[in-house]
Amino acid sequence: MEKAVNRQRVLLDHLRPSSSSHNFESTLSASACLAGDSAAYQRTSAYGDDVVIVAAFRTPLCKSKRGGFKDTLADDLLAPVLKALIEKTNVDPREVGDIVVGSVLAPGSQRASECRMAAFYAGFPETVPVRTVNRQCSSGLQAVADVAASIKAGFYEIGIGAGLESMTSNPMSWDGEVNPKAKNFKKAQDCLLPMGVTSENVAHRFGVTRLEQDQAAVDSHRKAAAATASGRFKDEIIPVATKIVDPKTGDEKPIVVSVDDGIRPNSSVADLGKLKPVFKKDGTTTAGNSSQVSDGAGAVLLMKRSVAMRKGLPILGVFRTFAAVGVDPDIMGVGPAVAIPAAVKAAGLELEDIDLFEINEAFASQFVYCRNKLDLDPQKINVNGGAMAIGHPLGATGARCVATLLHEMKRRGRDCRFGVVSMCIGTGMGAAAVFERGDGCDELCNGRKVESNNLLSKDSR
Amino acid sequence: MPVFKTPFNGYSVKFSPFHESRLAVATAQNFGILGNGRLHVLSLPPAPASPLTELISFDTADGVYDLAWSESHDSLLIAGVADGSVKLYDTALPPAQNPLRSLQEHTREVHSVDYNPTRRDSFITASWDDTIKLWTLDRPASIRTFKEHAYCVYSAAWNPRHTDVFASASGDCTVRIWDVREPGSTMIIPGHDFEILCCDWNKYDDCIIATASVDKSIRVWDVRSFRAPISVLNGHGYAVRKVKFSPHHRNLMVSCSYDMSVCMWDFMVEDALVGRYDHHTEFAVGVDMSVLVDGLMASTGWDELVYVWQHGTDPRAP
Repeated sequence: MEKAVNRQRVLLDHLRPSSSSHNFESTLSASACLAGDSAAYQRTSAYGDDVVIVAAFRTPLCKSKRGGFKDTLADDLLAPVLKALIEKTNVDPREVGDIVVGSVLAPGSQRASECRMAAFYAGFPETVPVRTVNRQCSSGLQAVADVAASIKAGFYEIGIGAGLESMTSNPMSWDGEVNPKAKNFKKAQDCLLPMGVTSENVAHRFGVTRLEQDQAAVDSHRKAAAATASGRFKDEIIPVATKIVDPKTGDEKPIVVSVDDGIRPNSSVADLGKLKPVFKKDGTTTAGNSSQVSDGAGAVLLMKRSVAMRKGLPILGVFRTFAAVGVDPDIMGVGPAVAIPAAVKAAGLELEDIDLFEINEAFASQFVYCRNKLDLDPQKINVNGGAMAIGHPLGATGARCVATLLHEMKRRGRDCRFGVVSMCIGTGMGAAAVFERGDGCDELCNGRKVESNNLLSKDSR
Repeated sequence: MPVFKTPFNGYSVKFSPFHESRLAVATAQNFGILGNGRLHVLSLPPAPASPLTELISFDTADGVYDLAWSESHDSLLIAGVADGSVKLYDTALPPAQNPLRSLQEHTREVHSVDYNPTRRDSFITASWDDTIKLWTLDRPASIRTFKEHAYCVYSAAWNPRHTDVFASASGDCTVRIWDVREPGSTMIIPGHDFEILCCDWNKYDDCIIATASVDKSIRVWDVRSFRAPISVLNGHGYAVRKVKFSPHHRNLMVSCSYDMSVCMWDFMVEDALVGRYDHHTEFAVGVDMSVLVDGLMASTGWDELVYVWQHGTDPRAP
């Protein structure tokens, strides 16, 4: 009898479209990304109006106040990467529709002026506009997403998304007084918490141990050191010719910075374990398992696929989707755990379809939490190290991650089709973007380990 | 034109691909909710005025929701039964020796059967257990199960040109395109906001697919760029139960609906509705066009009647 009732229900549903009880439309939406392993139809997803990335570069990242860029002005960091985009692709700078620069700590108007000036240093004509964007730590990624959206909207066909931060010249600070009203709004009050305290909150609330955090930091340094040693950053780093002042003698001498200077190949869990917690007496967040305070810049050249094809430029990657989400400000580090699924879903994909992640290591606590929460394969995340080793120049990080991700995807070839960049954002947010490997990649090289040679369909699992 | 009265409610009708005067009807007692089923094989009379004659019929313990003629043997029929079984009949053998085979794998009602028209050795069944199964005549068990849909699969149809490709329509509001050589579906088309009850491939353009939905519309898609339909055909007053492309004209298709009508459409012109037939007095749930005779159509419905007529004429005309 139950069978008859069920049949009646199925057939009745056909007659009641308005009261249709299944809400599937929210879980699926039209998307250019096709289902996971559908190699047969992969070609059909290449549309002329796709937004593609043809070049992505960054400066080396150097420790603020002590590193290679301690005497370099911010605009001198941005100009070399902007210039490299033009020089290495031979794109006519007059064709660029907009330059969007993510920048966090510097005063807004001054930084906007500096970026406009940097464009002139890099050889852009006066006809190319420049603006800045500030979404805290994801500003660089937001800049790339803004340019992609503008190209999609038809505002222009070629654009540059960049990121810039000199934490030497602009340390974190708060100007003026805090609105006393903030006391009555817990979430608003939480926005004022030092980032390290939010890290302690994440570690405490989700039980991330000191050992796990130190281990993550050691891994980050180890991977970054290996990548540097084997020259894997050579493709993405633009050496910067600048000057440095000897603090003792005051002598100024010209130097060329071409490697990240924060990486400690010899760091060990034992050494990191000796460091004292900074934000809480019995806490777990130390200088060793937090991101480094750095200077640097990155830039990404985006255009319509049809334009890239016309110019004969190799396509490094395709910008698929972007998502920014809000989370509780007092555990702002959990942002990626919410933002990544949102962006991946918007692309019509599942987490297991993603072959490579760049998740910003603001703090080991939040990084480890997000990794565990999403149940991600550690082999796929930050394969060339992260912010704990390389550094986290706030506004530049997004652009830096895009460059690192796309060059690594190119190296991995056809095995690595989709990649994700994500980071947490101070005051409780998260951002993530999905990229697809471009066509201009190396041949199949089996960069990804095949767990089992399962030729059966997904449903046989 | 000839009419046939079935004892049970009609569910599906299909012309034989071998004999131009032969067709088969799937029926189910009590609107398919509860009771038995019967599969009729009918023959068209030589003179249009006389009624359809029954060649043979087969009884089943549960309603028959769909059938498919074999493309390799003129006497073989496959029935999709509501108890989840798939039954193979040989019309050349008496009812006592039938069915030749009963394949019990689906856990819920089998709603659609389609025989591979190009390879001619295999067929697919779509079921309310959310799966599609691939079978061959010579094996006692299915070759593969395709499980990705999240709700009842109402229909599955082979591509007329690519022998390994088929499409499936489901109540999860998606159509999926599959290649049996691939591990998963190769394409997901979120075609409608409501359940999709049927899909069919164009017989002349292997990239065009039509979908029929509870939202009362038929949509025509190009699978190479499926973000927007090529055409949306509005005109039915209730859910569209079946849609089928003409085997003779590229742009024509026929549909039947819970609004009791059978409609003929030309999806390339602005006034797409070419003809409407209101001969059924209950839900029209089965419709087919003859491959062998241009314009010959058949329909069945819950009014227990099977009509066969030439497009452009009145199905009820004596």
